[in-house]
Amino acid sequence: MTTIASNIPSLYDTLPAQFSTLTAGAQWPEARKEAFDRFQALGGFPTVKVEDWKYTNVIPFFRSLQTLQLPAPIAITEAQLEATGLLLPDVYRIVLLNGELQPQLSELPPAKQATVLKMSEAAAEPAFTAHFNNSQKLAEHHFAQLNTAFFTNGLFIEAKAKAQVEKPLHIIHLYHNTSSLLVNPRHLWVAQEGASIQIIESAAGLDGSGTMVVNSVVEAVTTERSQMSHYQLQTGGGQLRFINQTLVQQRGKSLYNNYTFTLSESELVRNNLNISLDDERTETHLFGFYIATGNQLVDNHTSVDHRMPNCESNELYRGVLMDKATGVFNGKIYVHEDAQKTNAFQQNNNLVISPEANIYTKPQLEIFADDVKCSHGTTIGQVSEEALFYLKARGIGDAMARSMLVKAFAFDITAQVKIPAVRKQVEQLATRYLSAAVNN
Amino acid sequence: MLNIKNLHAAVEGNAILKGINLNVKAGEVHAIMGPNGSGKSSLASVLAGREAYEVTDGSVEFEGKDLLDMSPEVRAREGLFLAFQYPVEIPGVSNINFLKTAVNEIRAYHGQPPMQAKAFLDMLKSKQKLMEFDANLMNRSLNEGFSGGEKKRNDIFQMAMLEPKLAIMDETDSGLDIDALRVVSAGVNKLRSKDNAFIIITHYQRLLEYIVPDFVHVLYNGRIVKSGTKELALELEEKGYDWLKEDIRLEEPVQ
Amino acid sequence: MSAEQDILQELAGRDYEFGFETDIEMDIAPPGLNEDIIRFISAKKNEPEWLLEWRLKGFQLFQKLAMPTWQNFKLPEVDFQSVSYYAAPKNKVKYESLDEVDPELLRTFEKLGIPLEEQKMLSGVAVDAVFDSVSVATTFKKQLNELGIIFCSFTEAVQEHPELLRKYLGTVVPQSDNIYAALNCAVFSDGSFVYIPKGVRCPMELSTYFRINAKNTGQFERTLIVADEGSYVSYLEGCTAPMRDENQLHAAVVELIAMDNAEIKYSTVQNWYPGDADGKGGIYNFVTKRGICKGKNSKISWTQVETGSAITWKYPGVILQGDNSIGEFYSVAVTSKRQVADTGTKMVHIGKNTRSRIISKGISAIHGQNTYRGLVKVGPNATNARNFTQCDSLLIGDRCGAHTFPYIESKNNTAMVEHEATTSKIGEDQVFYLNQRGIDSEQAVNMIVNGYAKEVLNQLPMEFAVEAQKLLSITLEGSVG
Repeated sequence: MTTIASNIPSLYDTLPAQFSTLTAGAQWPEARKEAFDRFQALGGFPTVKVEDWKYTNVIPFFRSLQTLQLPAPIAITEAQLEATGLLLPDVYRIVLLNGELQPQLSELPPAKQATVLKMSEAAAEPAFTAHFNNSQKLAEHHFAQLNTAFFTNGLFIEAKAKAQVEKPLHIIHLYHNTSSLLVNPRHLWVAQEGASIQIIESAAGLDGSGTMVVNSVVEAVTTERSQMSHYQLQTGGGQLRFINQTLVQQRGKSLYNNYTFTLSESELVRNNLNISLDDERTETHLFGFYIATGNQLVDNHTSVDHRMPNCESNELYRGVLMDKATGVFNGKIYVHEDAQKTNAFQQNNNLVISPEANIYTKPQLEIFADDVKCSHGTTIGQVSEEALFYLKARGIGDAMARSMLVKAFAFDITAQVKIPAVRKQVEQLATRYLSAAVNN
Repeated sequence: MLNIKNLHAAVEGNAILKGINLNVKAGEVHAIMGPNGSGKSSLASVLAGREAYEVTDGSVEFEGKDLLDMSPEVRAREGLFLAFQYPVEIPGVSNINFLKTAVNEIRAYHGQPPMQAKAFLDMLKSKQKLMEFDANLMNRSLNEGFSGGEKKRNDIFQMAMLEPKLAIMDETDSGLDIDALRVVSAGVNKLRSKDNAFIIITHYQRLLEYIVPDFVHVLYNGRIVKSGTKELALELEEKGYDWLKEDIRLEEPVQ
Repeated sequence: MSAEQDILQELAGRDYEFGFETDIEMDIAPPGLNEDIIRFISAKKNEPEWLLEWRLKGFQLFQKLAMPTWQNFKLPEVDFQSVSYYAAPKNKVKYESLDEVDPELLRTFEKLGIPLEEQKMLSGVAVDAVFDSVSVATTFKKQLNELGIIFCSFTEAVQEHPELLRKYLGTVVPQSDNIYAALNCAVFSDGSFVYIPKGVRCPMELSTYFRINAKNTGQFERTLIVADEGSYVSYLEGCTAPMRDENQLHAAVVELIAMDNAEIKYSTVQNWYPGDADGKGGIYNFVTKRGICKGKNSKISWTQVETGSAITWKYPGVILQGDNSIGEFYSVAVTSKRQVADTGTKMVHIGKNTRSRIISKGISAIHGQNTYRGLVKVGPNATNARNFTQCDSLLIGDRCGAHTFPYIESKNNTAMVEHEATTSKIGEDQVFYLNQRGIDSEQAVNMIVNGYAKEVLNQLPMEFAVEAQKLLSITLEGSVG
């Protein structure tokens, strides 16, 4: 039954008993208690019988975890950072270790443009009190509740009203452990009225022992006329598993762009991206790209809630499935009764390269208003034989031709990236994974 | 036939017609010209009863009846026909079925029995011949996949079938090549009679070489600012609209 | 004049030739669901022991299975004990004369173009018995017999063709498939059985017209169609029910089996009573329909026009087991008033080079809620499987809803699956264009809707297509403000 051959009790079994000891003396005790109760009311760790987890069995991953106790901090060198290969030029580099800000390795934006604080030090900020733990969607997610109950630290970012934050903030999440660990980083990002900010996230695991599950929550709020571009570069080695909740609330005339690129060796990546369009004339663009290799499971669950009139959302997710990997896409567009004049589009395309790869996709429209234009499309297929033939007829070899076509499929999405250095890094990573596939 | 008095109209609160006066009698052809955005197509839409256009003042009489009081279909049944600037595509609705329905609805309005299939087909054939309309288009879905020219010709063909008293042609010439323009114009000329009337809305004088108007009106900023005979069209062609704007600006009262 | 009138006239003029219209007064069971009632039904039909056992097993499963919970609407509680599970047709007329029939219902028939004699028949006067829970054979029985085609009521098949029935019954829809399928197994009343022998192309459409008539009854018919190697059959199913204040349950099971090179085309025009404008009354239409393309190069095609029922819940599917087999699903579902339709298909690709095509057109008006729910599943051995799905929703009015839940699962890298869905409001510019040609808004909407549904309506046999078009118009009546 259990997947670990060890008599150390797994977190999966001991969690309920540990709640009070683990959270004793922590900040926000009420929110934690409430969240843990809710987590248990939802049935604890979701099994595949829960519709949203139908294709993604997380139980084995949690059975192999032992602790929530963060290991003692370690010193990180510049060389270690370099070695991740993730550094970007012209950014405010912000380094986190297991969710803890590392000031000595970080450069923060000017205070008049943006406030960047540890969550643990942000409780007095008005924007924090206004928005922390405030997303309605939190209640729907088992793992968001788990995060609220146990989160250790994370980043509070506030782009000041009318501030155009010059350079992107590049958050490098480093993870380190000494035994199988569940870590719960928690973030709150607010773009105040008329502000504009770009946030890039990358992740890397440092040497450690055993596996880790990173269960993170980002609450993001774009207030009136603000703009936020959010790049989630899901990189990192095989010892990391990710469950991400990104919960966005958009106020009037704001713009939110999300780029979720999964280019890692993690066996499990599950993204829950929820956008709530809470006011009129908002605009949202969601771009996703995933490459799944080996035994990887990459699962993207997105939802876009159109609650008010005259909003527009666009979603384009593409994936390449190789080896024995599994891809899951579930995209919901929900148009509430008042959301007349909604334009909502969604597209999910999957390229299945190898015979043992699986894909499960479920685009979903729920529409309760009539004056709308909504569409979704999804495809599962291979490289077009016709296109392949065309290239070959022009003298290009089979492998090269395939590689060109797969890259073309992928780079349609990466071309949407507005920051050149990010685009370059993503395309290099994608090329590395893709060429392995095509050459096999 | 048509008597427009001091017509004001607005879309979403923005005034676009600001006091139009126009009198059209049976047997006449009126051309309405003007620069883009002057309100030409809006006038056509208001007369046909498009919902988004709100009449804020003035009156329109059509054959002695209050036109503005009628629903769009009743206006059509009374004999007002709009040739659309952009005829819509309606997938799955066959052209022929659509026309038969329209003809019989109009007949029913006038207390006439529906046309028998044979009589309808005979009429269809003779009008097709008259209008040089491709019979193959009849069995296709309404305007679906038609070229721009085919759509316009379909509209003119419908006009022949429905035999309106007043036809308003909203930039029928836009997007037409010279051959299509000739065919469309020839069709209109064949339909001209002492009992019907035409309002031809156009940006260019070109169409008026083929359909010669009795009167030309220049619409600018929601008002008819100049009226004349067909020579006015030539003058506009030569000088463009800018000189008019100058003139009018001088005439505008100082506020 | 029109083909559908001919068909109805034919039905009206038919002599009742089957043995199950017996002493009717005796055949009414009290409401309630238990083993005794099942034994009673089985005994009434003089069924062999194995079939009774099969029914009882169905009942056991029914008791074990839970109600579905995945739907996105509130499922009203169904009190299974208040339903009568055996209501054979009565000779005694329900209505003494046409004047007593609800005028609304008569108007509906009038609009359907069904002449007076048929109105009498359909509204339950005099020939009530023909329709209640009982399948109707064509008058061409002799001609069919000569070709070796079996087309008879289920009850008759139990007596005449027990070996065939036993071989195929429950092989496509397992008894445990879902709670309503299990219920049907336990209490099914009657239905149709069709067998087309090898190499025979059935020369005419086989047709059944279902009707719920008696009060407080459920209708639980079963249809089983077997097309043997190289055969072809087209089967039509129509449904109507009178207006009643209370909800009535219809839980049918349809199983189709196509052997090598065989083709089955199954068309439904469903017009059960939808309930009134406030959602009172109407049929709960919870139906399990599935076909299996068992043989190579076989084909099963479902076409449905769903205009009736308070709640419709059905997913006619195809299991594509034979290599090169083809599954199709063409659907138009209209929901108006307070209707709910949750419908779609399951295409399960198992064999190589299997193909499926799904065209679904939903139309929602007034308070209607329309859901497409579908599954396209490609198994690991289904090399070169292909699916195309087009799933459109049209909205008329600002309080209706359209929802799409397509599940797509692929375990084979040679599969190509394409799914497209759109949702939009009925085009105002289209309505205006038709208005401008003298056509009023209601008729304009009808034309646009029929045009929108044409791709599906074209799949129907001529006589059904005409009826379906009229039904669409009637269903949408009053939806244009």
